[in-house]
Amino acid sequence: MSLFRRPLTSRRRVATAAVVAPLLLLGACAGDDALSSDGGGGGDTASAGGGTVVIGGQNYSEMQIMSSMYQALLEDAGYDVTLKLVESRDVYEPEMEKGNVDLSADYLSSMTEYLNKAENGPDAKVVASNDADATVEELQKLAAPRGIEPLEPAQAQDANAFAVTEEFARKNNLTSLSDLGKLGSPIKLAAAEDCSQRTDCEIGLEKTYGIDISKVEPLGFGTQGTKDALAKGEVQLGQVGTSDATLEDLGLVLLEDDKELQNAENLVPMVNSDFLKANRDVATVLNEMSAGLSTDDLATMIGKVDGNRELPEDVARAYLQDKGLIS
Amino acid sequence: MLTDVLAWFADPANWQGEGGILNRLLEHVLLSVTATAAAALVGLPLAIWLGHLGRGGTLAINISNIGRAIPTFAVLLVLALGPIGTSYLGPYGRAGLATLVALVLFALPPIITNAYVGMREVDRDLVESARGMGMTGVQVLREVEIPLALPLIMSGLRLAVVQVWATATIAALVAGPGLGRIVTLGFVRQDLAQVVGGALVIAVIALALEVLMVTLQRRLDPVARAKRQAAGTSVLGSVELRS
Repeated sequence: MSLFRRPLTSRRRVATAAVVAPLLLLGACAGDDALSSDGGGGGDTASAGGGTVVIGGQNYSEMQIMSSMYQALLEDAGYDVTLKLVESRDVYEPEMEKGNVDLSADYLSSMTEYLNKAENGPDAKVVASNDADATVEELQKLAAPRGIEPLEPAQAQDANAFAVTEEFARKNNLTSLSDLGKLGSPIKLAAAEDCSQRTDCEIGLEKTYGIDISKVEPLGFGTQGTKDALAKGEVQLGQVGTSDATLEDLGLVLLEDDKELQNAENLVPMVNSDFLKANRDVATVLNEMSAGLSTDDLATMIGKVDGNRELPEDVARAYLQDKGLIS
Repeated sequence: MLTDVLAWFADPANWQGEGGILNRLLEHVLLSVTATAAAALVGLPLAIWLGHLGRGGTLAINISNIGRAIPTFAVLLVLALGPIGTSYLGPYGRAGLATLVALVLFALPPIITNAYVGMREVDRDLVESARGMGMTGVQVLREVEIPLALPLIMSGLRLAVVQVWATATIAALVAGPGLGRIVTLGFVRQDLAQVVGGALVIAVIALALEVLMVTLQRRLDPVARAKRQAAGTSVLGSVELRS
């Protein structure tokens, strides 16, 4: 799982790559300014059920919805919530360690590997896996020295997955990646730039599933470019996310990862440990919501935001009210 | 951080292979040279001719300036999604034609604007004198106007070369070739040393190109050259050219 796995909405992700280098270079200083200005945080708020919370996170539909849910739940519990969404994890994560950001929504394996790489370098051995519980343990180990920790991960996942067109699936009778391997024809793949070097991408598709990948087009994870290339038939297989709500409209279907190649990417709240100690009820409130959130729920919400142009906060609120989690 | 970047440069593996610095550099040079050359081939004759006629320049400049007003990346995406498409074009890779067209559109404004203005700025008295001496239109163009407009023409080319070099990185965003790919790969791999290393290669060469083009511009400037010669040889009665 790479750090920038889901940095942006599909549409915006491409454009932002253009400003990636300067952003990264500015990251250190810009991050401080962007987040610490009034990010006093609630770390020193002793009384439960009050005080302030700063929620950080990435700024695209899925994370806007998750952050809005956290916000609505905590406001309902009496907190004064500030939402600060930014472009990438390495802007808000260091701030969470410092306590300028108290809480963020994240992906289980992506976050684990982000911390793993931050700790052990870009070539660090992958510790996240398909097993959510085992990955949570790894995440706890990596996060603890940094003063942050995960709460209970939701059932909902936005894992990496591989899609084909409905037509291609029907014609070749495909439902899983194993089926594609048995088909035996050379397959062009659109995926993230580092796909060729990854065991959960080209290497795994070839070794685990026996798929003959003839070419990898580095069009990005779940980007519009990847989906267009699929829909136009330039490639046969594309790397997308399981909670992508646009697939159906584009005539794309996911192939089942029947040999469990992909890491668990459950949505998990990350919190600053000091903040959590002072505000135990935050865990109770968020865990209750996470326990009931399914991938379908999430995909439906994303569909409302991306497809119907509804506001993430409205969609989040409606879901929580529907579930009886807020009044 | 600095040591990480140095280590990245020191690792021979980062220089070799399809994704290595050398191959990406070659791709980048090819892309930039082709785009700049094509832009010069289209832009220079047009601007010089219009400058010579003294007509239509404003229109040409304004049309070419559209290329400056629209972000190159947007142009590239529209071209790649639309009529030109993303098919491979030899060494220019995926969406090669779209990338080249986007870069050419980006290179045209400085080339056209500077060449046209350079031509119009040539002292009218000199042009009149040349005509008075019996020079034909083509002779005036070749012997008087172009040499005197050369500093500005070169300045337009210099801008185009440096801009295109730096902007050719966007090819990576449509999975095309060039040094941009080093940066995008480093970004995805969460390898900051590679991101900075790739950006450094691009930036350092951009600066070197700027210096190179400035030197070339000075060398080709006939006025400065005449002055140098005059000073160097102290030939009495040498004609002092003014522009």
